[in-house]
Amino acid sequence: MTGARSIVVVRNLVKRFGDLTAVDNVSLKIEEGEVFGLIGPNGAGKTTILRIMATLLLPTSGYVNILGYDAVKEAGKIRPFISYLAEDAGTYRNLSGREYLLIVARIYFDSNTEASRAVEEAIRISGLGERVDDKMKTYSKGMKRRIQVARALMTRPRLAILDEPTAGLDVFHAKHIREVVSRHVKEGGTVVLSSHNMLEVEYLCTRVAFVHRGHVLFEGAPRAIKNELGVSNLEEAFIKVTSR
Amino acid sequence: MRKLVSLVEKEVKDLLRDPRIYIGLVVPVILMPLLGFLMSTSMSSSIEAGAKGVKIAVLDYDKTVLSNTFLNLSMSLGADIRKVDATDLETAVDEARNLGSNALIVIGKGFENDLVNFRRASVEVYIVMETMSLGSIGAYSAVEGVLSVSSKIFSNMLISKLNPNISPDAVRDPFNISTRSILKDKIIEAPPQVLFNQLLMGYSIMIPLLLLMLSITVVQFAATATAVENEEKTLETLLTFPVTRYDILLAKLLGSSILAVIGSILFTGGFILYFNNMLAMSGFNFPAGDFSQLLPSPPPESFILLAASLILAILFVTSLGVAIGALSSDVRMANSLLGVVIVPIMIPSFLMMYGDLGTLPLALQLLVYALPTSYPIMMAKDMMMTPIPFEAILGIPYSAALTVLVLYATSMLLAPEKLLTVQYGLRLRGTRRQRVRELENQTTVG
Repeated sequence: MTGARSIVVVRNLVKRFGDLTAVDNVSLKIEEGEVFGLIGPNGAGKTTILRIMATLLLPTSGYVNILGYDAVKEAGKIRPFISYLAEDAGTYRNLSGREYLLIVARIYFDSNTEASRAVEEAIRISGLGERVDDKMKTYSKGMKRRIQVARALMTRPRLAILDEPTAGLDVFHAKHIREVVSRHVKEGGTVVLSSHNMLEVEYLCTRVAFVHRGHVLFEGAPRAIKNELGVSNLEEAFIKVTSR
Repeated sequence: MRKLVSLVEKEVKDLLRDPRIYIGLVVPVILMPLLGFLMSTSMSSSIEAGAKGVKIAVLDYDKTVLSNTFLNLSMSLGADIRKVDATDLETAVDEARNLGSNALIVIGKGFENDLVNFRRASVEVYIVMETMSLGSIGAYSAVEGVLSVSSKIFSNMLISKLNPNISPDAVRDPFNISTRSILKDKIIEAPPQVLFNQLLMGYSIMIPLLLLMLSITVVQFAATATAVENEEKTLETLLTFPVTRYDILLAKLLGSSILAVIGSILFTGGFILYFNNMLAMSGFNFPAGDFSQLLPSPPPESFILLAASLILAILFVTSLGVAIGALSSDVRMANSLLGVVIVPIMIPSFLMMYGDLGTLPLALQLLVYALPTSYPIMMAKDMMMTPIPFEAILGIPYSAALTVLVLYATSMLLAPEKLLTVQYGLRLRGTRRQRVRELENQTTVG
């Protein structure tokens, strides 16, 4: 076990795909109750880091500990306590939103009461209303994203790993999802997310890490980063750091 | 168990509602009986039209009392007899055509003389083939029927004239032959060709065909179910749930198998209706009676062995389907890869359906023995006629071992790291090939 409040501990993480080094010697810590943001351009290595945390990929070298468990040797013990939202997560076309949520809830919860409660919570989070009973192939891109965010948060995971949670959502629904994420953290959860939207990250995250070409270049609270670099927003901060 | 049930529910619901799947399930049930009905209706109507009111033109060179008796007899049997008056065959044929006759019968000169002297009299029959349809066959059957009955009546007359005290049948057909068949240790009151028809249809063709359909259906369902997960990007999420990859694999195997069984039942229903429609058609003279009651029952252990080999075969092909689906980025790619698996499954089945395994070249025999899908067919073919061959029994542990191996390999493939890495590799290879092709095109154009 690691320190009491550390939910994620990553040390010297390296991930290679053949000749390509996607993540190069990354170290970071995420504390309980944090919303930790990974910021970087496409191909920076954010998704690979999140996939390793979600126990989908194995590190080439380095150490990853999630909730006190080794992410390589004890992946099975980690999975009940985390949930992962992939950037391009799809849906089962021929299931209704409610059916899908119920199937997932039954996987996570042993009692039907708990599963039903989770589904109701997810329907509320998604804001789909009566459309939740329609087949998911009739959903718009935004609706599919909302049902997936709802699926990821309804199980009340100790660590929610969200890859671009508001991608494809309009401003109203993106705001709604940000509020849901904030509430999840207030209720005791921890979130690690990636995003292209600097405004969103600045609003939502307690700490961020700038990821570029597989490296973490800078890490800290948004306000502290801006102060330290003497810039007015995170976008400027990112450009300043990556152009060094 | 709860997790597995939820995953199986997801598989069945998602597959069953997929138009690509349910069209495949429902179409045979509607199409096959419809096909049987349409075929039998068109064939029956053609045959009936040919047989009903058959018009026969007759060129009587003999013009005697007996030739006239023959014509009157034919008319009393329902034939529409029109006499033609011609000096040669060519003119007679033209006249028969003009009269709209289905056939021309030429009674040779000396017809009566031959008959009264107990020699065979010459009757030539010409069937007018206006179209290449079953109507011509119906006309031929009708003419043949008239001639056969007339011939028998004449024969009775002649035999009675020789000796009124003897039975004409005893002279015409002196042997009263009754053929029976011996199967294993039992004597069956039916000739071998009747049993052969039933055995061939039931055990050698129908069961292997159904097994083949089941195998193809299940491998398609499994591959599609898994490829859809890749295509819709749901597999990645599924692999982060608190379920083991064995649960995911088992759910896919069960889900695909449940649907394949439903599909096979529907296919069998459609197939039976097709055959019923075809057999109900007039003009088909199948031996009457259900001789299956007379056949010796296969030993009970042979059913157990058949069930075991069938389950193993289905597990084997389903695992292959899941592996193919897992390696495919979309359903289209999975369908392309399926051909690689389905063809080797089909070949041994057809080899065994229509041939004798022992007479095949060694290479083909090895191919048949190498596939777990061959053993249920082997069992089904042999369980009625002979003791189940030793190699078919040995096939069960062999199939079990191979199936476990494929299941293990497939479960390894479902490990997220492997799956994502293999797919990444395949995508990279595809991109590289495309890039090379683009460069080649650019070079050619330049």
